[in-house]
Parts: sequence; C-alpha cells; structure tokens
Amino acid sequence: MIEDTGASIGRLLSPSHDLRAAVLDPERLAERQARADRLLEADGAGHLVHDLPVRGDGRAASIESRPWRIDPIPIVLDEATFRWLSAAIVERMEALEAVLSDLYGSQTLIRQRVVPAEVLAATDRYRINAGGAPPHRWLTTYAADVTLGADGAWYLVQDLTDAPPGLGYALLNRSVMARVMPDVIGVPEIAPIASFTGSIRSGLASVSRVDSPRIVLFSGGLDHPSYVDHSYLAVQLGVHLVEGADLVVRRRKVWLRTLDGLEPVDVLYRRMEDATIDPLEVGAHGSVGVPGLLQAVRSGGVALANAHGSGVVEADEVVAFIDAAIDSVHPLRQLLSRLGHADTPLAHVPVSPGLGGHAIGSAPVVVRLFAVHDGISVTVMPGGIGRVLAPGDDPTIPTACAAKDVWVLGRGIAPVVGPHLPQVDFGRSLPTRAADALYWTNRAAERAEAMARTARVVSARLQQDPGLVSVHGGAWTSRMIRITHAVRHDAWTELASSVSLEGLQRELGALSNAVALEIGSLLTEATTVREYLSVTTGRVLAHLAQLRTGLQRGEAGVDDLDAVLADFAAFAGMWHESTVRGPAWRIGDTGRRLERCLVVLDLVDAAVGQSENDSPEVEAAAIEVLLAANESLVAYRRRHRSDVEMSAAIALLIHDETNPRSLRASIEQLTRHVQEGGWDVGLELAAAAREALMLPLAELLPVMRSVVLDAGAKVVERWFSSPVAPIMLRPMGAAT
Amino acid sequence: MTTRRYRVQHRTAYLYGAEMTDGYTIACLVPRPTDWQRVIESDVVVDPVPSEMDSYIDAFGNLVHQFGVHEPHRAMTIEATSIVDVDQRSITFDSTPWELVATDLDTLAGPAALDVGFFRSASTFVDPSAVRASLQVIADRSFVPGRPVTEAIAGLCHEINTTFEFDPAFTDVSTPLADVLLTRRGVCQDFAHLAIGCLRAVGLAARYVSGYIETEPPPGTQRLVGADASHAWCSVWTPNAGWVDFDPTNDQMPVNRHVTVAWGRDYADVTPVRGVMIGPATTQRLDVSVDVSSHPVA
Repeated sequence: MIEDTGASIGRLLSPSHDLRAAVLDPERLAERQARADRLLEADGAGHLVHDLPVRGDGRAASIESRPWRIDPIPIVLDEATFRWLSAAIVERMEALEAVLSDLYGSQTLIRQRVVPAEVLAATDRYRINAGGAPPHRWLTTYAADVTLGADGAWYLVQDLTDAPPGLGYALLNRSVMARVMPDVIGVPEIAPIASFTGSIRSGLASVSRVDSPRIVLFSGGLDHPSYVDHSYLAVQLGVHLVEGADLVVRRRKVWLRTLDGLEPVDVLYRRMEDATIDPLEVGAHGSVGVPGLLQAVRSGGVALANAHGSGVVEADEVVAFIDAAIDSVHPLRQLLSRLGHADTPLAHVPVSPGLGGHAIGSAPVVVRLFAVHDGISVTVMPGGIGRVLAPGDDPTIPTACAAKDVWVLGRGIAPVVGPHLPQVDFGRSLPTRAADALYWTNRAAERAEAMARTARVVSARLQQDPGLVSVHGGAWTSRMIRITHAVRHDAWTELASSVSLEGLQRELGALSNAVALEIGSLLTEATTVREYLSVTTGRVLAHLAQLRTGLQRGEAGVDDLDAVLADFAAFAGMWHESTVRGPAWRIGDTGRRLERCLVVLDLVDAAVGQSENDSPEVEAAAIEVLLAANESLVAYRRRHRSDVEMSAAIALLIHDETNPRSLRASIEQLTRHVQEGGWDVGLELAAAAREALMLPLAELLPVMRSVVLDAGAKVVERWFSSPVAPIMLRPMGAAT
Repeated sequence: MTTRRYRVQHRTAYLYGAEMTDGYTIACLVPRPTDWQRVIESDVVVDPVPSEMDSYIDAFGNLVHQFGVHEPHRAMTIEATSIVDVDQRSITFDSTPWELVATDLDTLAGPAALDVGFFRSASTFVDPSAVRASLQVIADRSFVPGRPVTEAIAGLCHEINTTFEFDPAFTDVSTPLADVLLTRRGVCQDFAHLAIGCLRAVGLAARYVSGYIETEPPPGTQRLVGADASHAWCSVWTPNAGWVDFDPTNDQMPVNRHVTVAWGRDYADVTPVRGVMIGPATTQRLDVSVDVSSHPVA
C-alpha cells in the first residue's frame, strides 16, 4: 500500500504515469531489491574490506564496513523542480564562495559582528592562518542536503563545503540501478550523470596555474570512513587515489612517491577534512597528513580543491551565522530556507519494503545534490543520492541506511559534458604504496591458492578413503599433517597425539582458517589498489569475501574449497590477462613468483621422505598431494602415465621450465622482471637462484629458500621500506 | 624614559636516535615590532642548511619562519639571535568597571572587533570545559562588582602568584589547566594560561604573549624568576588603555624587562619551535639554551 501523502509524493515522484507505475511495480520490487543488494555487494564490496586482517608486512589494517542498501525505488525530480533546486544551489554556492572570501579576506563580516570573531576563534574549522594566501577559488565542489517539507516547500538541511562526501556513492548507486532496471532507466527522459565527472576534472584543473595539471584524489586511506566513496570516485575520474604517505613536500612543491622516484603533483582533490591535511598547522589533528603541504599551497606549488579553510561553513558553532552572512555579502534571489527544527513535518516518499515485506512503505528523505565550478560556471549534477530517514534520525547526521538513487527528468536537461581536457597521467610511474599493495596482494593470492588446493586434495582423499588414516600405523596421516603444516608456513612440531583422524581434521580446520586469513590480507591490499584491478576482479573479490566467512567458521567442505579455487583462478587469470605490462604488472608478478617459489620449496620439503620406513604407498600418496597442490598432477600423468615416482615429480616441479608452476619457470620469469626493471641487486639474486637450481635436492632446498627469502627482503628494502610516517618534533615549552 | 637594548640568543638543538629523511619546522622566534619595541637586527640560522626557508606574517601579525631539511640528518639546530630596543612603558590604569568592559566587548564592532574578538573564546590550551567552576572561583576573588578593570586584573595576577607555586620540574607544554589547578603549581606558561582562562571566564579578551625576560637583577632590586629561558605572560584589552601586559609569574606589569616575541590565543599559536620529521620511530633529545643580555641606550 502506498501511503498517500498527496502532493508530496506528487512532487517527489512526478513522472509520467508509466514511469511511476514502472518504478513502483509491486510485482518486481522484491526481485529488484535482491538484484540491487547483490550488485552492491559485488561492486561496492570490491571497494570494501569487511574486517580486520593484518597486512602481509605485519601492519594492521582496519576498517569498519559501513553497510548501506540501495532502495530500488528512486526519487524522481521533474524538470521544473530540478531547475528550481539547481538554480538555488548554484546561487548558494556562489554566495558561500563570497562568504569564505570575506571571512578569510577583508573580514567585513567579522568586523560587523555578522559572524563574531569569538565564534570563529572557538572552532579549529576556522583555519586562522588560511587567509594569508587567498586561493584561486574556495569552493570547487559543493553539496547541499535538501528535503521536502510536508508543506510542499524545499528546505536546506545542510551545506557541505569542506570535502563534500557521497559523489562516489551516487555514481555507484546509479551504476547499480542501471543494471537493476535497465528497461526503465534507459529512457532518454532520465538525465545521465556519468559525464559529471568530466566537469569535476575541468573544475579541478582550473584551480591550478599549470596548463595540464596532474591531479590526484587525496584520501585518508582505508581507515577513512568514506574510503569506498573515494575509491570509486578515483576510478571514475581516472586519477590516482593517494594517501598522506604517498606524498612528500620538497622545494615548496608536492611530489608523489613512485617506483621511479618523485613525480610532481599540481592539484589535490582533497577528500580529507581540512584540519587533517598538514600536521604542522595550528590546530592540526595529530601527525596525520602531509607535513609542509600548506607551505606548498601558500607558495603556489600546489592547489587544493576545496581550498584549505572552506570547511568553516560546516562548523557547528558557525552554522547559525551563515544565513545572515549570505544576506550580507550575496543576498539570494531564490530562497531555500533552512530546515528549522527536527519536528518540522516532512513529506514522505515511497520506500521499498526490502526483501521481507510486501507493502511499499513511506518515509522522509534527505537528498544530496552536488555542484561543481568547472572553471567557467557552476553545474549541478542531474542526480544525487537520497538518504531515507528512520524515525528519530537527525537529518544532518549520516546513518547506516537505505540510499536512493535520484533521477532527474527532462530531455531539456542537457547531459553535462565537460570541456575536453588533455589527459595528463603519470606515465608509467606507479605510486610506491600501490606497488607495495600489488606486491602483497599477489603474494597473498598465491599462498592462499596453494593452501586451498592442498586442503582440497587432502580432504578429498580423506573423503574417498577414510581408511587411509590407519594405514601403516598412521604414517599417511602423519605425512599429510606435515604437508598441511608446511603449506601454511607453520613450524612443524612432532606431536604424536595429533597423528589421528581428529588431529588431521584439526589440521584441515587450521588450514581453512589460514586460507581465510590470507584472503583477508588479499582483500585489504587489493582494496587499496582498486584502480589497478578490473571491474570484474572487484566482483571476484566480493565473492571471495563471502566464501571467506564460511572458511572462518571451519565449515569448508571440498565444494567450498573448489569455489575458492575457482575464484583464485579467475583472479589470477584477470590479473594476468588484463594488467597492462608495466611497473604495476612487474611488481605484482614479482610478488606472485616469489611466493610460488616458496610454496614449491615448502611442499617439496615436506613431501620428500623424511622417514626411511615409509611404505611406497605412503610415498605415492605424498607425491600425489605434492603434485596436486602445485596444480601439476595432470601434467605429470600426461607425461609419465605410470605410478607416481618421486624423482620424476621433483624434476617436473623444480627443473622443468615448460611447467609454469616449476621453480625454474618462476626463476626465469623473475629474471626477466629484474632485467626489464634494470635492478642490479635483483640480477645478482637471479643468478644465485639459477646456480642453486643445479645443486642436488638436499642442498638445493635450503640454499634456494635463503635466496628467495633474501630476494623478498631486498624488494621490500629497495622499494617499500622508506619510513614515511610523520613524527612530531618534541615541542619546546617556556620553562620559566 | 629609559630604553634598554637587548641581545637575545636562543638555541634549540635536537638530536635524533636515527637518521631522518625530511624535517619540517615552524619557528616563532623573532621578536615582533611594537609601539615600545624596535627590532634592530634578527637572524635565524639552521643547521643543516635548509633546502628551503620561508617567512610569513601569521594571522596575529607574528613573524614565522618555516623551513625544510630534505637530506638525511640526525640532528638539527636552530639559532635565533635578535637585537631589540625596548622602551620603558608607562603603566596605564583603566578605571572602567570590569563588568562594563565585558558587556561592551559583546557588541564591539569595527576594527577593534577583529583585534579583540579572537581572544575571548576557549582555545587549545585554555579549554575551560572541565574547569569552569574552579576558574570562576579564582576570578571571583579579584573581580568583585564595580572594581576598576586594571586593578581587578592585577589582583588576579597577585592571587595566582601567591597561591600557586612556581615549579619548573612540574610541567611540560601540554599540562592541562585541570592539573595546574589540582596541584596548584606550574611554570610561566601554565600561569599565563590560567590567568587567560580566568579573564575569559569573566568575559574579557586575553591573549598569550611569548617572549623573554631579563634575569640579571639591577642593583638593589630583587632577582626575577626564570633565568635565561623563554618566558610567557598575558595581555588584556581595556577600552582606555588598549592591550595591557600582565606577568602573573612575576606578579608585575612589564615595564622594560620583557622582550616580546609573539602573541596568540595561547601557546599553540606561538609555539617557539614545532615540527614534524619523516624517518624511523626513534628517540629525540632536546637542548634549549637562552641567553638574554642588555644595556641601557641613550
């Protein structure tokens, strides 16, 4: 039942009868909701990590996932409504620009007590030293939260001027909706929003003095609550997502740390709150940010969008004075009055019942509209994001909630096309942190795959033939425990009591858990380099995230492991087939090959006979597991068509260059990488590894292991170990 | 009128336990010119030689140096030397009742609103939220109804001077007002922050002044507390005398033994040396030495 709130629904859902019927079609809502949930999970989760795995290098990474759900019933604004709102927003953005320019410039508003100095002094969002060097423009981007009152009037809920969040979410929601209801959304009456990113790029470029500026999106990284928003937006804009540690200020300019050295940056699309961008500044929040950044800004070495200090408009202490300030410096012709009290009656719009219910409900919404100054004029995106309010919600405080896509009707609303801009990229340079993450992503993927395959092979054997457990007084079990231990990189401890069915099952549980952990670190690392991975890769990662939950519960059966292995194969395949051969590929593949070398060494070490008394039957079982875990069993059978034999297996896994899983193949590939990269230390290591291949097995294993471990350490030392966390200088007090 | 010429040398030396790749420092060490103070010479020398050194005037009119060292370094020394002439200031009393000053400030407009308004609110080191009642109790003893504003401020400084103990071993720069109030001890910047907190609590505008004080006692006078270190006091705005300095640590109004470097809302705005470095987490040793000498000039 649609709760008819009369005119208000009419205003928010005023499309043609057909469109109205189409979006509210009760027959299809449940299906659309399910599809939206699934797509958001897949697309969104590709940008999102769900819990707290530890990174490959031991650093803890953490993020709380912030679930939201897309309500498949959009908010539809007709052309007249959008034009009215759009004009109000353009005007308001211009007015706020004038207010900021006054507060940090001539300060007439402060002199006249329109905005008392006492109020500004009390908040560190008034960046007291930002007035020294006025920016080209204070606001490049702006967002306004608006809502429709029950009286039919639009109200302003809040201005967002610092680093207005949600644009990435809005684009993501639209991409999901386009796939949930392509038949409905495809009509030309609904204005497209994708080209708004072109206006953003033009706007960002226009704040720089440089002709073809290099632009990066400056994020707080994985720990920032809006990371998904940042990450998706960076991909859509086609710019690097960087964190504080990626940047360094030297010679009054900002530089990006890349594998090939420092590359200049001209514009920072700031997604960080302005008190957190430079730890040197008065009122900075701790040691986060880029030290010296504001010195570079002051001397014109880099431009910020939005400018440092523009967040003052949002400050709780200041909000009450903003409307008077606007009246004083830039009176508005078209009034969007501010929502007064929480008890102002709001219009209700239809909301989806979700998966459970059947009846369409209704609730008030806050609509966020985005504007950008593209260098010539202000443009409002013909779309946005709607936030459904639950009873008791404060409209100004974001909550985990249902989000609505916002559709703007009207062929007259020309699709926004930004002026053509020559794309300046960073050439072949790869930010160091991204290289670091790609390296560990691939190492984790390779290790997790080997562990999952081992678990799968042993579990399957156990399922087929439970009698194996007691074969030769537990020799089979003992050997399998040894192998599962080795593949998860755990120190081998001889525990007589564990040589039992229960012991082996415990082992397999532990191995499942270890796979889950590796998937966790894979997801964490991959999330920070979303822009280097394909869209499809994002979906594979999202699927892995789901499977991971089962693995953690220790409930993984052979089928689950098969599913995990299929995802790993897809991930590896996409990495291999869709990554441009350049530094990103080279560093990622280096990680993968190094890990593969270690996997082979671990497994061969565990599988070759340690006990002289082991029967040929146990030996054969071990070789089979060894080959299968290295995905080489089929290759072996094709070649030998006989019972498995250790020496032939070793030859295939270690020396056979035609087997892509072999040690030799990996070392050859690594050698090509270091040659292309022109890395001398790497060449020496490659030569040492090739030499080690010629040693007899008993010597080869320890020597090769030490070369590979050394290579891993050298890679980290060469590219990733430069300490980049800012440390605060001990302050000096007045001691008298 | 006696003018004294001061030579101030302020050396700040950091020694790190490891090599830093980059160091970024902001220094507020050069005295600012005022109606009663002229800067004859000033120089800031940094070792290692910085890759870039900028100076700018901050929002409060102070001269700030910002520099970066971008080569591996294990130590950094900043040596600031200034020669300053300080005129003898006459002590001006403003007999306006303090309540009137406070109420007038609430509606003050024009250039004075900019000059004064930023110094009436809570700030980083003068955050009254947890200690409002204690500050009020101290302030109430001096700010009795109808008392002339200058007299009331002097009374407050006397109160702090006599009921709090000067203890250089006690605090570091981040001592919250609550600790100072609880232990009733502190150093000059704690007393300045405390006085500022009380003054703002009664509605006045008070700012934090960073500088130096001459410690060699002229014959026949009492030796002042605080040998050769940086010093801090406060300044209060009154309608007839403008900004008037008060030194609660020494229970006096500066005449010509104080060299003014900078002022702001509190210590955070005018920290003599603050910075960030990039390198491995390590230890830092900090040595500060200040030398103030003076002689009268004709």
